Amino acid sequence: MNNELDIISETTTKIFSKHITHELRQNINDNNTSLINLWKDIEEQGLTKIIVKEQFEGSNLPFNSILPVIQISTMMGVPVPFTETIICNYLFSELNISPPNGMITFAVETKNIKILNNKVSGNLLSIPYLNLTDQVIFITDIDKEKHLVFIKNKNGKMEATKNFLSEPRYNLTIQDCEILTIKKLNNNINFNHLGAIIRSAQMVGAMEKIINLSIDYCSQRIQFGRSLSKFQAIQHQIAEMAVELAASTAALASLNNFNELTPKLEDIAILKIRTGIAAGKLIAISHQVHGAMGFTKEYELSYFTKNLNSWRNDFGSEACWQELLGKSFLEKSNLNLWEYLTNKSI
Amino acid sequence: MSKYNFPSIIETNELSNLRLEVRNFITKSINDGDFSPTADAWVFSASPDFSKKIGTMGWLGMSFPRKYGGHERTALERYIVTEELLASGAPVAAHWIADRQSGSQILRFGTEEQKNLIIPKITSGECFFAIGMSEPDSGSDLASVKTKATKTNDGWKLEGRKIWSTGAHIAHYMIVLARTSPASKENRHEGLSQFLVDLSFPNIKIKGIEDMTGQRHFNETLFDNVILSKESLLGEEGKGWSQVVGELALERSGPERFLSHFTLLEKFIGEFRISLLKSGSSLVGKLIAELQTLRRMSFSVASMLQNGNSPETQAAFVKELGNRFEKMMIESLREISNIIPLYEWPTSLQNLFEDATLRIPSNSLRGGTTEIMKGIIARQLGLR
Ligand SMILES: Cc1cc2nc3c(=O)[nH]c(=O)nc-3n(C[C@H](O)[C@H](O)[C@H](O)COP(=O)(O)OP(=O)(O)OC[C@H]3O[C@@H](n4cnc5c(N)ncnc54)[C@H](O)[C@@H]3O)c2cc1C
Repeated sequence: MNNELDIISETTTKIFSKHITHELRQNINDNNTSLINLWKDIEEQGLTKIIVKEQFEGSNLPFNSILPVIQISTMMGVPVPFTETIICNYLFSELNISPPNGMITFAVETKNIKILNNKVSGNLLSIPYLNLTDQVIFITDIDKEKHLVFIKNKNGKMEATKNFLSEPRYNLTIQDCEILTIKKLNNNINFNHLGAIIRSAQMVGAMEKIINLSIDYCSQRIQFGRSLSKFQAIQHQIAEMAVELAASTAALASLNNFNELTPKLEDIAILKIRTGIAAGKLIAISHQVHGAMGFTKEYELSYFTKNLNSWRNDFGSEACWQELLGKSFLEKSNLNLWEYLTNKSI
Repeated sequence: MSKYNFPSIIETNELSNLRLEVRNFITKSINDGDFSPTADAWVFSASPDFSKKIGTMGWLGMSFPRKYGGHERTALERYIVTEELLASGAPVAAHWIADRQSGSQILRFGTEEQKNLIIPKITSGECFFAIGMSEPDSGSDLASVKTKATKTNDGWKLEGRKIWSTGAHIAHYMIVLARTSPASKENRHEGLSQFLVDLSFPNIKIKGIEDMTGQRHFNETLFDNVILSKESLLGEEGKGWSQVVGELALERSGPERFLSHFTLLEKFIGEFRISLLKSGSSLVGKLIAELQTLRRMSFSVASMLQNGNSPETQAAFVKELGNRFEKMMIESLREISNIIPLYEWPTSLQNLFEDATLRIPSNSLRGGTTEIMKGIIARQLGLR
């Protein structure tokens, strides 16, 4: 890891540990001054512009530099659209548009988008933290080409979704909403791929936190006259989680080979599949070893497991990516499996 | 984050070229009728002739020093070669243990004389090794071994019984873990030593044990007052335990922990590619994701070994995930066999599948059990 990144990771940890409490996570609304202060610090330190070009006051680090930062932020359970803003700013910067200030969020999916005279109507789906910001981007096809659209939500119809009771999410219906920016995406940028990568990085961070919580809890909780962590059955359950996390971090590390944003489709698929599988196992095991306490809202475990449930599904579940990956190989009938696995250009 | 860290290592063009070189050699060997691919070949399929050929190609003892006949190449280069050999189901069992762990163990702990005597022969594919760790009463609890070496005037006297030693019947040497002094109350790992035992010595009886698949690849070895010279001691007297721990990292982290049955998968896909495209893509995708992740982890461990680390926990991660992957893979093929009934498979594929199904229970026993791997990981996490 290079020095600049070390410093950024350190700053991230410092800021988040100063502000974040579990109570804060349970009061995510736009008049919570603690959240506002947290965001102020994040922006002042330039954390939302790590991979933004210098001309837009960014640090201009390579794309993969955000992975450790995202991991740290999710490990600490940051209850603001930090990851979302990083990605939106990045997209602006890559399109040579100066990113707006403040929190920005995105729609994971869209439906019935119609654009006319610089106005847009339609349904923007699954928007994280729309209750904290009115700045939203989404991606839509115009003449079969992907475009980024940036709007400010003034009087759209906001509908909170359940989202596994994880981070707040909204479906937004807009009618003739003014478009602030619209631009064709560069060919090397795929929003869905970006989304899969950041959600995977978030899952890795959350999983490490979940294991730490499990170790702490089982070391302190005493039953049958000794701490739970002394029971081999419990030790093996926690080891099982560690094995899953190790596989996920290895899958994430493979993206470190790419300094440009052109990770291969296969690598993204493998990452999303592997972290998704791991997430499913960790949710089950961590709740099992925590007993009833883990099932409460007050104890922080569920904050992280609920996020896993939600991120697993964003930008394609394991099933979607497995189908895609399997097909991508099976259709290349000139390669046998071993040739496919060892082919570096795939 | 370090406990879970597997830094990503890039396969350079030189490595890819080496890969192709090995692959071409294998294709030629198969075409020449030197071997036909089998499953679990690194345990079950020994061919001294083939091992010698591999040695001639310079693919044994690859990382060993030149002055002992080695090739001074990297652990990553060795990784590439072993992957290609495993993926093709080549008969590598004869030399596998010598090349993987015994040679390194001798280079690390052996005397000049031991190195000069043995390493060149390992490198040329003419000297095979067996592992003498397990005993009838000592399996997972390896430190409880009872085989005893007693000091004599001019050496040692070895007495005891080793069991499950893969390939001992064709091996020239066995590295035997034996007790040389009683364990202390505080530390049961004290008082163990490793010996380099020439299996042609008198008073050694090797008896094959038929396994449940009807094969004889592992053995019971009886040491009935075997006279050993001073020079048979490997490494330091009493330091056997720490020596063994390093050896196990070599034993557990390699691609044989997830490529043992790759030939089956490859053949299966070759046979049913079109049906799979219709209704099995998702399953194939899942297998690819698991396999590719394992390859990255194992390659990453190879680079840790190259850098002189002893990644005991990372090796346990690879072994545990690899064992699980292989079981999952065979179950997956069964699942698909509901769509493509077993009787429609070509006989050779049916045979591979049946061999794999029979042998798979051993993959999470040999080299340390699942429970022992999880114990190692739990200790690393501070739970023990
Ligand atoms: C095909 C094959 C090849 C082999 N080759 C070799 C070889 O070349 N050289 C060699 O030395 N050995 C070899 N072995 C032996 C292998 O290392 C042992 O089988 C293994 O270490 C387990 O020992 P065991 O069989 O005595 O089982 P045991 O130790 O008796 O264990 C039986 C079961 O109990 C569990 N168990 C044991 N202790 C604990 C514990 N503390 N906590 C929880 N569960 C526990 C085990 O995990 C296992 O599930 C080979 C084995 C096989 C199957």
